[in-house]
Amino acid sequence: MAETKETSEKDEKPKPRVRPIVRLGIFLISHSVLVSVVCCTAGVLALFLLPVLAKNTYISENALMPGSASPMLSYQHVSDGNRLVKDLTNLDLKSSETGIESQRVIAQYMLELGAEVSFHKFHAQLNQFHPLHFFSSPDSGVIQENFSCSSYGINTVGIIRAPRGDGKEAIVLVTPYNALKSGLGEAVSVGIAYSVFSLLTQVTWLAKDVIWLVADSRYGEYAAVAAWLRDYQIPKFSSLSTLNSEMCPDINNLYDLKVNSIAGSKYSNSFRRAGTMAAALVLKVGDQSEQYEDTISIYAEASNGQMPNLDLINVVNYLAVHRQGLRVQVEKLWSLLNSSWLKSLGEIFESLGKVAKSLNPEWKFGIPATEYVEGTATLASSLYYQALGVPTGPHGAFRDYQVDAITLEISPKYSLDKFRRNDILLRGGRLIEGVIRSVNNLLEKFHQSFFLYLLTSPSKFVSVGVYMIALALLIAPLPMVAASLYVDANSLDSKTNKSTPSTIADTAERGITIRSWRWLYSAKLVFAVHVWGAIVSLLPYFICQIPDCSSTISFMIWVVLSMISLLTLYSVLASPFSCNNASQEKEWALVKSVTISYVFIGLGLMSVINFATAEIGALLMVPMCLLARPLKFDLRAGSLRSFSRMVCNLVLGLIAFPPAAFFLLKGMLEDFGSVNIGDFWMWVESLWAWNSATYIFIGMVYLPCWVLCVHILLHTC
Amino acid sequence: MQKMGKQKNKTASFSFWNWVIASIIFRLILIYFPKNLNLASRPEVSTPLTSFRRLAEGYWLKQLSMSPYAGSMYHGSPLLLSLLGPLTVKRIEGQPNHLLYSLVSVIADVVSAILIRATGKNLRLAYLRSLESLDIVQQTKASGEFFKILSPGDAAALIYLWNPFTIVACVGLSTSPIENMAVILCLYGACSRLVPLAAFGWVIATHLSLYPAILIIPVIFLLGCGPDAPPRKLFLQKNNKEEVLSKSKLRLGFSWRPITHFAFWALLWSAYVLVLCGISLKQFGGLWEMFKSTYGFILTVEDLSPNIGVLWYFFAEVFDFFRNFFLIVFHVNILFMIMPLAIRLHHRPCFLAFVYIAIFSMLKSYPSVGDSALYLGLLGWFVNELADIQFSFFLFCGYVGVSLLSPVMHTLWIWRGTGNANFYFATAMVYACLQIILVVEGVSAMLNHDRKLRNLATSKPQDAKS
Repeated sequence: MAETKETSEKDEKPKPRVRPIVRLGIFLISHSVLVSVVCCTAGVLALFLLPVLAKNTYISENALMPGSASPMLSYQHVSDGNRLVKDLTNLDLKSSETGIESQRVIAQYMLELGAEVSFHKFHAQLNQFHPLHFFSSPDSGVIQENFSCSSYGINTVGIIRAPRGDGKEAIVLVTPYNALKSGLGEAVSVGIAYSVFSLLTQVTWLAKDVIWLVADSRYGEYAAVAAWLRDYQIPKFSSLSTLNSEMCPDINNLYDLKVNSIAGSKYSNSFRRAGTMAAALVLKVGDQSEQYEDTISIYAEASNGQMPNLDLINVVNYLAVHRQGLRVQVEKLWSLLNSSWLKSLGEIFESLGKVAKSLNPEWKFGIPATEYVEGTATLASSLYYQALGVPTGPHGAFRDYQVDAITLEISPKYSLDKFRRNDILLRGGRLIEGVIRSVNNLLEKFHQSFFLYLLTSPSKFVSVGVYMIALALLIAPLPMVAASLYVDANSLDSKTNKSTPSTIADTAERGITIRSWRWLYSAKLVFAVHVWGAIVSLLPYFICQIPDCSSTISFMIWVVLSMISLLTLYSVLASPFSCNNASQEKEWALVKSVTISYVFIGLGLMSVINFATAEIGALLMVPMCLLARPLKFDLRAGSLRSFSRMVCNLVLGLIAFPPAAFFLLKGMLEDFGSVNIGDFWMWVESLWAWNSATYIFIGMVYLPCWVLCVHILLHTC
Repeated sequence: MQKMGKQKNKTASFSFWNWVIASIIFRLILIYFPKNLNLASRPEVSTPLTSFRRLAEGYWLKQLSMSPYAGSMYHGSPLLLSLLGPLTVKRIEGQPNHLLYSLVSVIADVVSAILIRATGKNLRLAYLRSLESLDIVQQTKASGEFFKILSPGDAAALIYLWNPFTIVACVGLSTSPIENMAVILCLYGACSRLVPLAAFGWVIATHLSLYPAILIIPVIFLLGCGPDAPPRKLFLQKNNKEEVLSKSKLRLGFSWRPITHFAFWALLWSAYVLVLCGISLKQFGGLWEMFKSTYGFILTVEDLSPNIGVLWYFFAEVFDFFRNFFLIVFHVNILFMIMPLAIRLHHRPCFLAFVYIAIFSMLKSYPSVGDSALYLGLLGWFVNELADIQFSFFLFCGYVGVSLLSPVMHTLWIWRGTGNANFYFATAMVYACLQIILVVEGVSAMLNHDRKLRNLATSKPQDAKS
């Protein structure tokens, strides 16, 4: 960027000797229309080529050595697990008024294995509005003062100390368990974890402590895990909250029971810790799958598009496929699987690949059309969940503390009756055991493999170096077009000045004096609109304080307040529709130039924070920004080209408006009948509740850009 | 940044003081949200030298009758400890924790802005006077509207006050507002020929952050031959041609008297400062300890924690046995540029001071955004001269882009763990490049301006003939 810009501005002042790089810059800028068309097309094409360019995953960290040891999990451990499942299900039938009993049972089982056990009490935190939270370090959260005893949850934590370790590192195993209404699946997941746990108490090779967290998921799986992690990572020094929760009678009952029943055990009242976490696995057992095999789904997306290290997924994938014979899948956008245009695109790529192969057998980039369609559907879902910035499971809480974590959901082929259950317990347990054994081998934390990637199938990925090309091509025209507009506006200005009757020296100086700082007026307008964007993104904080407000009404209030603030800011800071000065004739070009520069900065910034958001935003914003041109000129010109450009502008301006884009996408993916105006509010609320950077992006980059483009379209002078 | 100051100047109903008050209110609003911003822990704001936390730590150590320099935490002046130290622990019920300290920073910012404004007025007067003596007032007035409208003092003061860097440094509780104030005090004193004040500012600025020591050269020029003016050659030419110019209008010679005064006062002040430091550090190893852990710390780049400069990365990578060599190379780098610039720009001492400040805030061992705030503010003094600077838009976008990208890269590296040090260092390098471009383009714009003036002055007789 710097180079092109620099060179672009160098040609303002013609010099006798021009360096080649300057000449190249001038060439690019003078052909900016062609360059931008080529670059944008190439960028979109590159995005569709990503499934073809995906590479097979490989295990990068040699220390992992997955599957090199034979599994030690025997039927003995499985029957232990089965016993716990039975107890839990029986408990559910007997008394389901409080969940404490089942926690007690689990704790008892852990204690019998010789593990250290403690209970962790937490309070469900309400959704809070920290728009910049993604940016700062995780903090210990606000201690709520007036919570009641009714809204607490209890996590049960068991810790095995490693016989060969120094207690500095730990591996975490999480099983969400809702004691109030647990299905058989949750009980089985606890059973699997228990069978692994009982094996791990006996093995000699363990070098990292193992923490088993039975997360009380009555307030959501994520909340429980996040609360435990917060207390684990950030010690609380104020004794206020702990004291308060001690007063709740139920928990104290639980303590009494424990202490009475098992004397001299490793039960502890306080919060127990092991070392830093090397990795975490969240285990769930789902309902019966529609597939013909036992499948295991991997969920990896954490907040703001962060992914765990690819090696963790690789290990799970390798062990599940090659050792346990499970089918591994990652999420797909199912509606894309049946689209015919994607299929034909895949066929084109397939035939291209065949042609390439016939020319040179070394070139192997063709993949079958069906594989292409599946890869694209997976890639689209990968992009979508990363762009949303909302974690897809409880593993997301770990990523905020730089711990690599994934959620594994096992869906059995048949229903979980007694015999099948043993099989699932055995295979699931062996898979978990294998993963833990691999992670146990790690000498350092995961660092060898990729953190920035998109999955196109469980065993194929697109790395950052490849997918960045698509975005780079898409946004490359922006600085060039900005520079060319800037140069144009300035040269036109000096031309008009020359026509006025005055001495030559005079005009030259005048031109220079004004020219160099003329962009300040446009920058002022752009700045004002960005301030407005900041105000709009802060408004929901105040709107959600209004009690008893339905989502539709909130949305309406938001829109009205935004409009009012926009009009106020326009009238105060920048009056857009006044053109009293003749030199402002080309004002729109400068406004467009400054807008494009800021869009470039915003997209560049977002591509570092969350690539997927930047990519999706760029697909909408780049054409909108590049095409924007006052409608009046196009109307005046009256040619076919200007007419088509006008139509493009209008359509883009309409569909790029954030709510419009949202409703359009939702209608396309689901059904136009079910679209409700309040949905947009709900969606935005979910974004800020999860501290998603996408929210900031929409408020501070996307929306101002849209407003500025509309401003250029409606420019009157 | 420049936008703010300029746009305000343009409007007819512009009121300088309204904007000053608005900037104070804006700072106070930000001060009331210290937890949310958490600026004091940003590496861009607090370096080992300017960090508030280190100041508080030094104060505590001193209260516990230990050397404030124990444990390599504090590296500032002992005078700051006695002046600002008590404010780090004083709290008012119901108010933000460090309200008093923040208020001191706000006051320092406002005082700096007022001094900048006064100096700018001085510079403008000098500029007008030199134009008059060259008899080119009419032409310049006809050619540039900027001239009438923009008073460089107001522009510079508002740029300084509303620059996000200044605001961040002020709200982030760093000591750089005070260091900047000392530098500005020195330049103000030299411009308005208050020799004791200039000497005081120079001694304090040098004492606080060492690098302003090289400002002695512009100060000598300022005291010796007055504030910025077109090259002296031009006046001589003019005199030869027309032989009518009254010499009383301009002092063309170099007067040594104020300089000897300055030297005397500088010696006096530095002796005074050293005695005060000696008294305050009497039990803790005396002055030698102070020199070792302030100037020594600055010069040997001991702390390699990441900042927006370029030295930390280099010295983290370099082999230990080359370390001394490269330390010399990096520091001589600054010194090398002093002489050529002084020769080329000796007729514009204030601009020379700006260039020096820009260079050392780029190459100093622990730079922070407060240093950039200083030279960007001083840039406003030369709005008339630098009106035709090239790449202004590119530089502006670059500064905006880098100041947004740098914290993001830091987050990626430190908090998310998906990036690494190279990500952050890349932004630091881009930032350094931007500063270089700013300095280079600024100097070349200034030389072009001089050339323009020369053309105007020499072409005038021909115009009159025709």
